[in-house]
Amino acid sequence: MNDKSMLLSRRTFLHGTGVALALPWFESFAVGSPTKDETPKRFVSVYHPDGVGLPLKSDPAWEDWSWFPRGGETDFKLTKVLDVLEPLRSDITIYSGLSHPAARRVHGHSNADQYLTGAPIGGEGPYRNTISLDQVYAEHAGDFTRHSSLVLSTNGGVGGPRGAQTQSFNREGRPIPAMNKPKQIFDMLFVTSGKDAAERLARSKSALDLLIDNTRSLSRQLSKRDQETLKQYLDAVRDTELKLAKAQKWIDTPIPQVDTKNLHLDAEPKEARLYFQTMYELIYLAFLSDSSRVATFQLGRENGEGPHDLLSLAVGLGGAHGLTHEVKKPDGWKNLGTYNRYQAEEFGRFAQRLKDTPEPTGKGNMLDNTLAMHGSASSSFHLSRNYPIISAGGKNLGFTNGRYLKFGKGNEDNQAGAGIDTDAGWQGKLEVEELPLAKLFVTILQRLGVETDSFGGYTGSLSRV
Amino acid sequence: MQSPPKLAKNEKQVMKSLKIIIPLVLGIAGTILVAIGQETPITLEAAKEQGRAKSRFLKETKEAAQTTDAIPKANVAFFHESVGPILKKSCLACHGPEKSEGRLRIDQLNPDLLTGPDVERWREIFNALSKSEMPPVDEPDYALADADRGRIVDWLSGELNMASLIRRNSKEHSSFRRLTKYEYNYALQDLLGLPYSLANPLPPETASEDGFKNSSELLQMSVMQFESYREIGLKALKRATVIGERPQAVTYIISMQEEMDKAASKEAAKDSDKNKKNSKSPRNQQQLFNRETEESIPFAERKTMPRAEAVAGQTPAVSPVVLVLPRSNELKLDLDRFLPDEGIMRVRIRAGRSTMNPDEYASLRLIFSAHTSNNANFSQVVTERDIPVTAPADDPQFIHFDIPLSDIQRNPFRKLTTTFPRRDEFLHIHNVSNAHSVEEPLQVLIDYIEISAPFYEQWPPKTHTDIFIASDNKSDEQLYGREVLARFLRRVWRRPVTSQEIDQFMALFAKYRPGFSTFEEAMVEVLATALATPEFLYLTQRVTTDETKSSATISELEFASRLAMFLWSSIPDDELLKLAEQGKLREPAVLAAQVKRMLADQRSRRFSQNFVEQWLGLDRMNSVTHVTDSALREAMLEEPVAFFEEVLKHNHSIMDFLHSDYAVVNERLAAHYRLPKFYGPHFRKVPITPQTNRGGLLTSAAIMTMNSDGKDSHPLKRGVWMLKRILDDPPPPPPPNVPEVDLTDPEILKMTLKEQIANHRNKPACISCHSKIDPWGLAFENYDALGAYRTHIKNQPVDATSELFNRQTLAGIDGLKRYLLTDRQDQFARAMVHKLTAYALGRPLSFGDRADIDSLTAQFRQRNDGLGDLIQLIVSSNLFNSK
Repeated sequence: MNDKSMLLSRRTFLHGTGVALALPWFESFAVGSPTKDETPKRFVSVYHPDGVGLPLKSDPAWEDWSWFPRGGETDFKLTKVLDVLEPLRSDITIYSGLSHPAARRVHGHSNADQYLTGAPIGGEGPYRNTISLDQVYAEHAGDFTRHSSLVLSTNGGVGGPRGAQTQSFNREGRPIPAMNKPKQIFDMLFVTSGKDAAERLARSKSALDLLIDNTRSLSRQLSKRDQETLKQYLDAVRDTELKLAKAQKWIDTPIPQVDTKNLHLDAEPKEARLYFQTMYELIYLAFLSDSSRVATFQLGRENGEGPHDLLSLAVGLGGAHGLTHEVKKPDGWKNLGTYNRYQAEEFGRFAQRLKDTPEPTGKGNMLDNTLAMHGSASSSFHLSRNYPIISAGGKNLGFTNGRYLKFGKGNEDNQAGAGIDTDAGWQGKLEVEELPLAKLFVTILQRLGVETDSFGGYTGSLSRV
Repeated sequence: MQSPPKLAKNEKQVMKSLKIIIPLVLGIAGTILVAIGQETPITLEAAKEQGRAKSRFLKETKEAAQTTDAIPKANVAFFHESVGPILKKSCLACHGPEKSEGRLRIDQLNPDLLTGPDVERWREIFNALSKSEMPPVDEPDYALADADRGRIVDWLSGELNMASLIRRNSKEHSSFRRLTKYEYNYALQDLLGLPYSLANPLPPETASEDGFKNSSELLQMSVMQFESYREIGLKALKRATVIGERPQAVTYIISMQEEMDKAASKEAAKDSDKNKKNSKSPRNQQQLFNRETEESIPFAERKTMPRAEAVAGQTPAVSPVVLVLPRSNELKLDLDRFLPDEGIMRVRIRAGRSTMNPDEYASLRLIFSAHTSNNANFSQVVTERDIPVTAPADDPQFIHFDIPLSDIQRNPFRKLTTTFPRRDEFLHIHNVSNAHSVEEPLQVLIDYIEISAPFYEQWPPKTHTDIFIASDNKSDEQLYGREVLARFLRRVWRRPVTSQEIDQFMALFAKYRPGFSTFEEAMVEVLATALATPEFLYLTQRVTTDETKSSATISELEFASRLAMFLWSSIPDDELLKLAEQGKLREPAVLAAQVKRMLADQRSRRFSQNFVEQWLGLDRMNSVTHVTDSALREAMLEEPVAFFEEVLKHNHSIMDFLHSDYAVVNERLAAHYRLPKFYGPHFRKVPITPQTNRGGLLTSAAIMTMNSDGKDSHPLKRGVWMLKRILDDPPPPPPPNVPEVDLTDPEILKMTLKEQIANHRNKPACISCHSKIDPWGLAFENYDALGAYRTHIKNQPVDATSELFNRQTLAGIDGLKRYLLTDRQDQFARAMVHKLTAYALGRPLSFGDRADIDSLTAQFRQRNDGLGDLIQLIVSSNLFNSK
């Protein structure tokens, strides 16, 4: 596909979405790989705290309000919690029997930090995290876009150790602050000027020039063999120059223009529905304009309080975290299930939006080239096992959807830890076998094109996915 | 590097069984000793003497010693005589002129694996034969007898190992390399005067075959690495320098007198004599205590606020009211949310000891924590080492800690305007002690605490004035800029700097200056660029243009850098640089004095630490999970380093690493080793008797522990470790897909560990390597997975006897040590010289270096094997002075 026709197709198509997005010579940007006609591969992970409802079979609420589906791999039946995803049935996969082994006996409140990292952060004492799944992919794909990744959460910032308000951690295990104000996110994506960045770049360029001169003059005084060794350094400097040139191009490239009239950039968490939808819409726009191919979004923080607790107002319920504590009260399971159902509904809406949008390069729709994950690091009350995970899309990446994949052994009906509402639950013995979630991460990374066979110390991918 | 067949030959010549009674003339003492028969073996000390007398490095002429280690040659004769005919019989039918299955023609392979082109084909054959995949089981006509299979596998494993050895060693390696992560860190610390770890963002280094991380061929450079250098350099410079006026410090003062008064008035208001009742509280309880009136109240936590008027660094009069802090107790101070983001937090504590019993110690440790919400919390030890409290109670003294606030985990919510999640930060003052007296337990008594941040000894700080030096030209940015650069670049590049080089950096400064409001800010960016230059990041060796100098020798300045990297893991200091600039550093007397000075300097601790860690492979302790007592783990890791330092400091013989009549331990480790009790966390030398089954490095807890499987000893790991690390005779790597010992087989489960090993290795494909490894490891069977000595395993007496492939019997650790000391001293000495030299040069040694290593070893042995002498010998050697 030549640049011009592509440009046209994207522009025309953007008009069609009701968002006016001007993309001047955007696609002609192609320093280094990937080749410009390659379809972007995208990854987004949405995290919700507090787990899901998992009543015992003997409980009358089990029939309707147990989160996990019933039945087999393809003939599964969704309960009321997830039935909103029925229209997307052939585009989603639901998983059970996965968790991070190091966290299985740690209180669920502490575990949002490790959902995408799998690090053994423990429940107390010194704290150390490791790189998150999205950032591993961002290292791979981040250079192709203006923003290497988009890190969002309802509460913003980094939160505290064992009380993360971000899902993303860098290579050193440090948390990456999440953005939570739609206006700021929008400005960063579509408004920000690059003046500071331009100055920094100019300085870097001069410094690299000096370093290259300096290296050349040293090289002349070395033996042939040592010159070879030094060449590695020179290559590193040159590659850094290329990266700067790329960054410069981004600065010189006009920012895509987006019409804000349908966006509610002042939405706050207490206007739950509006806020949810606006945040998802911003991720959608970032993907659509290829401003980023990686995003994480954390809905609130574990252990309630703060903006997150207001999100359940969307379904007329107060105190999202409290819902998990009140499952044994009248309508308790129903209330928690209703809130989880709402989360699934919004995730479904986002997936549907991607599905309805043809991929600008012509390869299927945007959902086919995006793997969207939705999940939590606890299932039942504070129990850090059997993470409830849904993934959507990724058909062109190699994911076969329309399935309910059960992993592990001994918990086929998801009753281990069901119905608990005391702390004895999360501290209980591990009686069923689960597989490391990291193995799913390996599969995801491989399908996104990252050459790796391990994540967080676990080697090998997950079969059947 | 010795090759197995060669070694085997040497063995036969040198080996003499201790069972034979031989009169021996001991050169040094001139005494005639009679080695005693097997009933009462000679002592290990006598074995040391006896073994030394056997050294060929002492007896033979230099030339003879050198030729003993010739480059190995392929054993083609054995092929023609033994291997070829077997292959012909069993393999040729399918892999010959008739049929060539797998495109293999066994009759066309070159049997010289060392120089021939068919090594990879031979490796495939080795794999197929050692796994008994060939000949196929359904071809009984061509079946291989076990003995024949063994013969081929044996020959192939020897030749393949030698081939890889030759490949590795034939390549000449250069010492031109970049600094390792830890060297870069120390270099930056020493250059800028910053005592914190700075290099954390860099990836870890991989170890070479020899175990060394400073090995030139493995030190790569990548974009990510290069970008990290730039970021780290700029960040470090910004920490070393300051802008503007001295910032106002936040100061907290906790006076125990005040706390007591406050508590008393509160209590008085509530209820009259509650305090008085408490005054009879148990002695060993944490409390506020008035030493005059003997009043007391419990005191464990306190919220405290900064005092606007307070000035840090005060010394108020000693108060009779003290905080009594018993062993393992702590005072938890809630500092609210007022500590600054950056800078040093100085914590001053005036403390004394309640008793002066010399068997007891007490020290203070700081912990920083926050509890932001239910289950979201952290706590972290923020002090690098505990500081002992030594002053008596009547004359308490200040001790202080400096904590870099930007480096520790902070409460990320401290700036919230709302109160949830919680914003407070806590400082815990913890008493680490071995107090054990029942009558008069040792407690720490504290009467005054002061916390202040950011703390500066002076303003601007020394780290700043070391870069932005005092000068009359400060007002002239051009002149002053050149002065700053001249000084800085000389330290960064470890050499004098030319005016043209400064021009280059001034040009960069000119470009940067308009973007910044001050001279310093712009200059910091320029200096950061200098920290990314190859001459800072690499150890250079220039081609000499000076005709008068030998082209093979490194320059005086390069020598200074190499020396500093060797003994300090860092850049040379001013004294070394000056001597090098004057061309005096290599004068023998000057060099000897400098080495002495360097070893006496604190920075030489880095040498002991890094060399020992890499030589012995102590990294492996990181993956050990079965040591749950952190004090024991720390002690385990420290012991080999402390032992090495002891040997180095006193120029003891390196044979002490094999066995010594002393141990270097602390209280925790002494208890682990069941040595007579003594006290304190610091390591010291203590004499030991043979009954303790200790002495030397081989049985140190760390080595036994890391070479275990987490539950029990692991003789194979221990054997491999001995061969690789101590004897420098690494065994070949195991063939791929070796079957594990089948622990579900009931027959195997019935066997003892030793029998299991024997069962495994008696397979023809395994025996040749295992017979060279296992016996070394079995000799350690008396040491369990934590290195504790045992006489029984599951009610069975330990059987630690083994027989080496040369028929030498090793009776447990004692027998092993005796054998090493009597018959393997030369091998160990040469291994030690080899390892230390490879580390000093920062490159793998090759065949070309053998003669040099031999002659170094000879000189070393002639000088009585002292470790300190070895350092001196190495730095004066040809190798250390050559490119």
